[in-house]
Amino acid sequence: MDLQLGLALSSIPDKGFDLNFSEIEASPVKNEKCNIKKRNSVEAFEEKNADDHVPQTLALLVWDEQSNQGDDVDEPEISSVTTNNADRGFVGWPPINSWRKKICQQNRPGGFVNCVTVENGGGHAGGGGRGRNSMYVKVKMEGVGIARKVDLNLYHSYQTLLQTLVGMFGKCQQSVQSYQLIFQDKEGDWLLAEDVNWGNFVTSVQRLKLLRKRD
Amino acid sequence: MAHSLSTPSFPEEVLEHVFSFLSSDKDRNAVSVVCKSWYEIERCCRRRIFIGNCYAVSPRTVIQRFQDVRSVELKGKPHFADFNLVPEGWGGYVHPWIAAMAAAYPWLEEIRLKRMVVTDESLELISKSFKNFKVLVLSTCEGFSTDGLAAIAANCRNLRELDLRESEVEDLSGHWLSHFPETCTSLVSLNIACLGSEVSFSALERLVARSPNLRTLRLNRAVPLEKLPILLHRAPHLVELGTGAYSAESRPDVFSNLAEAFSACKQLKGLSGFWDLVPAYLPAVYSVCSKLTSLNLSYATIQSPDLVKLICQCHSLQRLWVLDYIEDAGLEILARSCKDLQELRVFPSDPYGAEENVPLTERGLVAVSEGCPKLHSVLYFCRRMSNAALVAIARSCPNFICFRLCIIEPRTPDYLTLEPFDTGFGAIVERCKELRRLSLSGLLTDRVFGYIGQHGKKLEMLSVAFAGDSDLGLHHVLSGCESLRKLEIRDCPFGDKPLLANAAKLETMRSLWMSSCSVSFGACKLLAQKLPRLNVEVMDERGPPDSRPESCPVEKLYIYRTVAGPRFDMPDFVWKMEEGAGLRYS
Repeated sequence: MDLQLGLALSSIPDKGFDLNFSEIEASPVKNEKCNIKKRNSVEAFEEKNADDHVPQTLALLVWDEQSNQGDDVDEPEISSVTTNNADRGFVGWPPINSWRKKICQQNRPGGFVNCVTVENGGGHAGGGGRGRNSMYVKVKMEGVGIARKVDLNLYHSYQTLLQTLVGMFGKCQQSVQSYQLIFQDKEGDWLLAEDVNWGNFVTSVQRLKLLRKRD
Repeated sequence: MAHSLSTPSFPEEVLEHVFSFLSSDKDRNAVSVVCKSWYEIERCCRRRIFIGNCYAVSPRTVIQRFQDVRSVELKGKPHFADFNLVPEGWGGYVHPWIAAMAAAYPWLEEIRLKRMVVTDESLELISKSFKNFKVLVLSTCEGFSTDGLAAIAANCRNLRELDLRESEVEDLSGHWLSHFPETCTSLVSLNIACLGSEVSFSALERLVARSPNLRTLRLNRAVPLEKLPILLHRAPHLVELGTGAYSAESRPDVFSNLAEAFSACKQLKGLSGFWDLVPAYLPAVYSVCSKLTSLNLSYATIQSPDLVKLICQCHSLQRLWVLDYIEDAGLEILARSCKDLQELRVFPSDPYGAEENVPLTERGLVAVSEGCPKLHSVLYFCRRMSNAALVAIARSCPNFICFRLCIIEPRTPDYLTLEPFDTGFGAIVERCKELRRLSLSGLLTDRVFGYIGQHGKKLEMLSVAFAGDSDLGLHHVLSGCESLRKLEIRDCPFGDKPLLANAAKLETMRSLWMSSCSVSFGACKLLAQKLPRLNVEVMDERGPPDSRPESCPVEKLYIYRTVAGPRFDMPDFVWKMEEGAGLRYS
């Protein structure tokens, strides 16, 4: 894709930084100090201490090219996507506040949302409210990268569920016949959905997959 | 006007009358530095003060200068406290302010607090000290219980606004609401959405019924949907409504009562709440959709098709907050339906998951920016982005005031080119000349900071995380961004040099936060020594910083300008770097 930006890239040097700022020049530190090898910043300042005059735009260190070289410039890490943020223990990341966190945690116990078991336990203060009425499970379609989530409480039969799922993944309704639905139950086994009646299916399903029917 | 400098141009009363038309703090501050007599006149007639950092000035100083204040707004903890980065007990106590104002401002009417620690004792003092108290807004505050609220309810005869925003309230019982006396009929706005326990419904109903001026009502989750029509019938002139739980047993009369009640609310412009939303009940609000300007569905865990059915009827929508369940497809429809959209926030439904759980990508944001010419404020959480998309967004929306993008995985590159997002964010700051607030994410090198320093001349607040390569990045920002007031940085390789080289800049800003960076204890001490008008606070839970070498980086650093001098209410993991003395801790 064409990325013409019109940014004046040339005025920003990649290395170091050219200081011809009047504020820095006002500070009476001679250049030669800056050419000395990198030192502790406190040392660098102490030689200037004799001055009572603190310039208006006080710089406690004169910035020049040398200030920035000598640092090890690490290659930026490209993090692997396999561990998530919670596992790696980044406090406060992603930046969502505690209210939102509470809602997310309520909606996602352990990754597969199956609230049939949680419903009666409650979990949040509710006066007349019933607590959650939804039952989200993850659905993957063979050949499609991004999984979806579907609320099984909205459906009462495999027919309507399949139609919705096929629509969710952007396939046309005629192709419903060419997919079969399998599900993973509480023991971790993958079963053919139609082998089980709807009621049993709903109480044991952990996640769903849509596979293309082979001849 | 040729008057000599020694004769005043106008009598004081005239000047005072002129100043009374100045409501903005900026204008009043400008007027007060013109000359001594203007300073004196202005300070006698300023009624509203805003203090962005409660530690920047002492209550005594404020009271000495402004003698008859009616409205105070105070902010306490740094913004990153919202994300648990500021340890418990850091500070932000409002009580010293309340105590001082109770004596000095008996006619105080309004108190607005953000991220402060408020106790029941403070609330009780407020309720008893200010006879004409009208407005209490507690935004993301903590430290108080429903007992404190009971005192406010019982004693504030003319209360107009009680707004608890997203505060953490110790919920002892719902009884506090019953403390509003029968004679209290002045309520205009009530927001109790953050409260967990049930309030007495009959007390709530009676309160609503006797408040003819009620325009904003935000209920908490515990108020059941079946009872919402009762409240709506009592308050048909509501402009803003936050529902309680939006689910109920499936009964036809619940739906029809609800639909009828909503249709009677002809002035409704804003909706929020929708906890536990069941799609079947959403159509009950369809009758008000066309007039809605503000919709907060960010707690509604429903799928895109249901969201879309609602949103595409809201042709007047200006603000939408929603979860990423809306998907790119839903945002595309939003772009076609809501041409007046100004603010969009898309929150993550599964922020801690490792993979994308819904198809929400850069496409949605590109569509909205292309379709909604008035869009000026965005907060967008997603898992992938490209420079091309950011460039397109910048091109479509040169009017951004606030652009906050959170690519959930730190250091994620452009998914098409695997490059950093320097170019993309660079386009944003270059095109959006009015940009005041920016949050960065994804893989970023020092170059992006160069662009920000070069173009972000109106930028007031910048949030940075997991970005940059070296000190140069921070130097670009501190030396280039002329309007910068708040800078917050976490997990970036920025160290001492840019801080020391731009030390004076820190006095022109409200505050700087740096955590998990590379600023040494020695540099903190030096800054504090040389800049007495800054408070330099080091937070380190490993123990006193002087128990480690001076070159050792500190965990967290919070620097803010102040005329109040050192504070004395710090916990034992916060050290203030003091001029001369070196180290001081409470």
